[in-house]
Amino acid sequence: MRIPNLVRIAAGILILALTGATTGCTTVRPYQKARLNDFNMRLGKTDIEKFDEGVHTYREGASGGGNGKASGGCGCN
Amino acid sequence: MTNKYLTLAMLVAALHATGQKGRPDTANHRADSPYKKQMVSRTQIQVLFAFYTQDGDHSAITGGIGTEWLHVYSPEFTITHQPDSNRSLSLNGGIDIITSASMNMISLMRSSASRVSDRFYLSPGYSYRLPKTRTRLGVNTGFSLESAYLSFPAGLSVTHTGPSGSREISASLQCYFDDLRFGRISDTYPLALVYPIELRDTSWFSIYRRYSYNLDLSFYQVINSKMQFALFPEAVLQKGLLSTPYHRVYFDDGHTERVENLPTERWKFPLGAQLNYFAGRRVIIRSYYRYYHDNWGIIAHTFQMEVPVKFTPTFTLSPYVRFHTQTAAWYFHPYKQSNTRDKFYTSNYELSALNTYKAGLSARYAPQNALSHHYFFDALTLRYSYYKRSDGLYAHILSLLLELEHVHPKSN
Repeated sequence: MRIPNLVRIAAGILILALTGATTGCTTVRPYQKARLNDFNMRLGKTDIEKFDEGVHTYREGASGGGNGKASGGCGCN
Repeated sequence: MTNKYLTLAMLVAALHATGQKGRPDTANHRADSPYKKQMVSRTQIQVLFAFYTQDGDHSAITGGIGTEWLHVYSPEFTITHQPDSNRSLSLNGGIDIITSASMNMISLMRSSASRVSDRFYLSPGYSYRLPKTRTRLGVNTGFSLESAYLSFPAGLSVTHTGPSGSREISASLQCYFDDLRFGRISDTYPLALVYPIELRDTSWFSIYRRYSYNLDLSFYQVINSKMQFALFPEAVLQKGLLSTPYHRVYFDDGHTERVENLPTERWKFPLGAQLNYFAGRRVIIRSYYRYYHDNWGIIAHTFQMEVPVKFTPTFTLSPYVRFHTQTAAWYFHPYKQSNTRDKFYTSNYELSALNTYKAGLSARYAPQNALSHHYFFDALTLRYSYYKRSDGLYAHILSLLLELEHVHPKSN
């Protein structure tokens, strides 16, 4: 029962992402990237969040997904 | 009509003449230009200080009851050296100084109000961009050492950036080889798994190693000049001793007590998605969602939104909120609710059904000032977070990040 849910949601997100990536994207010239190159537009976790992500890993049952390491290296997860 | 052609011809001739005049030959351009092409080597230095404090009443060491009071001081540094645009060397290291009330309860004999333990870690890495490609390969290794844990990580990564720079795909395999025996830092104990003092008449586990394999993919895509998107699918396999040998479990018959027992294999499937949007001139919306599923019965959803506001080009304030909800692992039962007929059992509330709420604020000052001829002060960031778990645990997190850079011209 749970695995089909996982597949449905994962597939939904993937399809949305791929649809966006392939159809909704426009070509951005280097001189149009001022906003994209802003520090706060960086994708992935920022360096200041590093300790916070460790806390989530230790205090919750879920981890990973671009949001801190998913396992290993400490006695907690 | 003749006038129109005449005007057009004069315009073309004038533009041609201007173009000829303004286009010096290459040699002259090099000599006259105020700009000079120069190879530089860069070294980025990051120092992170973090302080963490928590309290709660569901310690796994005492079987799901008892204090979870904890303080952690965590200084850390990262040095990244790029001798040229192709090579990058990094070194990350630090120490966690942990003061915990519940760790003292392994022996159930308080010698003090709390117990101090340390963790040391060091992790070097190297990455190399293949010549004339947009593909970068990386390796990393290291160690992490604390009283009840020794870990050796090893990893490989590959990143490929698309021709326009609008798309990036990366894959990384991280492996952790861990040893859960106690007594490496303190010579009071022999090197062995440590059990709660009243349960040491039984050898509960015949294994002491844990292996973790993380396959981490990421896909970055620019959508338009104000928006970009990332997807983070991941698969994790853990094998070996996944129980913590000093966690107690009390059973519903009122008198049985055992050490936590969990399966020796766990699969995790997190899938994260991030969308960043530059709204207006000063406001950025950073949104993140993660779906998580594992084969212990946990399904989780995590959502975070951060809204950095650029008050000046150098000063940014970023309020944020985070919400997490998860179902319980099949093996979790609170204090004195596990059944003696169960094969696997734990009273660790991290594996319980819970919600967590977090809110905080970051302040970033990024002047990128020159401190001296080659040294630059890049940025200073301060972040505070308040964290609350639905079982009553709460925490305060304070982080301070200092970023410096050394840029040195290289002789061609």
